[in-house]
Amino acid sequence: MCIHREPAFLPILLFLTFVIPAVAIAGNADCLVCHADADAVGETFRIDHLTFDTTAHAALGCRECHTSVTTDHPGDGIAPSKADCRGCHEAISAEYARSTHQANADCRDCHNPHVARGPAAVSGADMNRQCESCHGRLDTTLRHAEWLPQTDLHMAMLPCISCHTASEENVITLYIIRRSDTLLGDGQRLATYPELKELAEGKSISSLIDRNEDDYISLTELRMFNSDPENRMLRLQGMITPEAVTHDFRTLDNRWDCSFCHASGPGARQTSYVSLAREDGSYLRIAAEKGAVLDALYGTPDFYMVGATRSKVLDVIGMVIIAGGMVMPVGHGTLRFLTRKNREHKEEE
Amino acid sequence: MEPARKVYLQPTPVRIWHWLNAFGIVTLIVTGAQIRFPEYIQLFSGYKSAILLHNTAGLVVAVSFSLWFFYYGVVARNMLKIYVPSKDDLRFGIGRQAKFYLLTYFLGWPNPHHPTPENKFNPMQKSAYLAIMFVLMPLIALTGILLTNVSPLRELVILIGGLKILVAAHFLLACCLCAFLFTHVYLATLGRTPLAYIKPMWTGWEEEEPDRHSHPAA
Repeated sequence: MCIHREPAFLPILLFLTFVIPAVAIAGNADCLVCHADADAVGETFRIDHLTFDTTAHAALGCRECHTSVTTDHPGDGIAPSKADCRGCHEAISAEYARSTHQANADCRDCHNPHVARGPAAVSGADMNRQCESCHGRLDTTLRHAEWLPQTDLHMAMLPCISCHTASEENVITLYIIRRSDTLLGDGQRLATYPELKELAEGKSISSLIDRNEDDYISLTELRMFNSDPENRMLRLQGMITPEAVTHDFRTLDNRWDCSFCHASGPGARQTSYVSLAREDGSYLRIAAEKGAVLDALYGTPDFYMVGATRSKVLDVIGMVIIAGGMVMPVGHGTLRFLTRKNREHKEEE
Repeated sequence: MEPARKVYLQPTPVRIWHWLNAFGIVTLIVTGAQIRFPEYIQLFSGYKSAILLHNTAGLVVAVSFSLWFFYYGVVARNMLKIYVPSKDDLRFGIGRQAKFYLLTYFLGWPNPHHPTPENKFNPMQKSAYLAIMFVLMPLIALTGILLTNVSPLRELVILIGGLKILVAAHFLLACCLCAFLFTHVYLATLGRTPLAYIKPMWTGWEEEEPDRHSHPAA
C-alpha cells in the first residue's frame, strides 16, 4: 500500500509547492489588492476592479500583458512591461497601420486596455469621448457645420465612427436618457446605472423596459415604457451605431451623401436595439421588435430620421387629405364642364 | 356696351406677399415631398439640396407671414374685418355662398358676393382663410421652427409629445395646406373668365361682375 501511496503523494506535493503559487501570482485578484486602491498605487495605476473584471482582457490575466512582473513586484525594481497590442490584435493592427490615423495616435491613446470592450457594450457617447480627447467638440462641430445640415443634431446622434470608418452596417441603438431639468439648453445625459437601479426597485434594470424579461423588447413594451408616468424624466434617444468597427478611419464616399442614412425609405431602417447602462460601466444590448422605430407615435416618440423612419399609417392619412383637396377641382370641375352652356347663355343675356 | 367698373382690391404689399407666399409654399411642398419620400421623389439633385431649399423656403414664408400680419394688423388695420366672418356671414352668408358653388353656379347664376377693399372675401373664403392664416400657417411654422432646432429646443419638443408627434403634425398640416392649395387655385378660376380672379392678384384691379338685381341669388 505504501508503495502505491508514495508516487501519488509526490505529484500532490509538487502541485501544492509550485503550481498553486504560480496560479496565484497570475491571478488578477493579487494584483488588484494594490492596484484597485489609488492610495496604494496612485490614480495613474489604479484599475477599476468592477470595470476590468468584465473585459475580455481580464480573462487573460494581468501577467499575459505584463510579463515582466515577478512575485517580488514592486520590490524588485523592475518596471512592468506592457504588451504589444499587435501580438493578439494582428489584423486590426495591420489595418490601422495602413490608415492615416496611425501617425497621430497609438492604440492606447484611444483604448484603455483595462476598460476596452466590444462596440455593442459601449455607448455611442463613450465611443465619441475617445475621439474627443484629441478632436475638440467645438472645433469638430464648426468644421462639420460648413456642409452638414443640423450639425449639432448629427453630432449628438452619431458616433464619429459611424461615418469615419468603413463600417458598412449601421443599426439604431436606443439609449435611456435622463431629461434636462431646464426647458432650454442641452442638459440631457445618459441615465446612469444607479438611477436605473433605483427606478427598477430591486428588479433587474432590463425589466424597466423589457417587462417580461425575455431579452426581447416588443413594440408594446416600448409603448409601455414611454407612456409610464414613472418614466417621465426618461426618454429613449436613438443613435446610429456601427455593427462592426474597422480601424482604417476612411470616410467612405457614401457617407458624404445624406441618402446613405436618410433616403432609403422605411424598409431599410428596421433593426434596432435598446442599450442599458450596467454596473460595470458597459452596456447591455437587447434587441427590439423589427420596425419598432417606424411606429407612428409612441414606439420611439423622440426618435425620427427624415426619409427613413416615417410611418406608413401617417403617409396614408396624408394622401387621403391631399386627395380630399382634389375633390373640388375634379368633382366641381367636371360638373362645371358639363354645365358650361348654362353660363355661356347667361353671359349673352 | 358700358365698360366694366374696376375696383382696386389688392394693394401692392398684399400682392407681393401673396406671390412670395405662393412661390414659397409650392417650394415647401415639392421639397417636403422629396424629404419625406426620397425613394420615390428626386426632383432636386441631392437630399441635402432639398433640405436646404426647404429650410430657406420655410424662412421666406415665415418672414412673408410676418409681413402679412404687420400690414393688415398695423398698417391697414382691417385684419379682423377682412378675415373674421360676421354674424351675418355665419347665419346666412356661408350657406348662400355654398349654395352658389354647389348649385347656382352650374345654372349660370352670378356670384352673390361682390368684393370691395373692406370686404374682399366671401363668407366661405373668410372662414377658410381664418383657419388657414390664424391656425394652419402658424402651426406649420411653429412645428417647422422646432424641427430645425431640435437640439437646443429638445425639452420643448418632449413637452409637446416628442419628435414623432411634431413630425406627424408638421406633415399632416402640410397635407392640409396642400389640399387647400388645389381648392384655392381651382376656385381662383371660377370668375367670369378663368383669369378674372387671378389678374387682380397681379395688377391689383378687379373688374366688377355685373349685378343682376332681378336674379334671386343676387
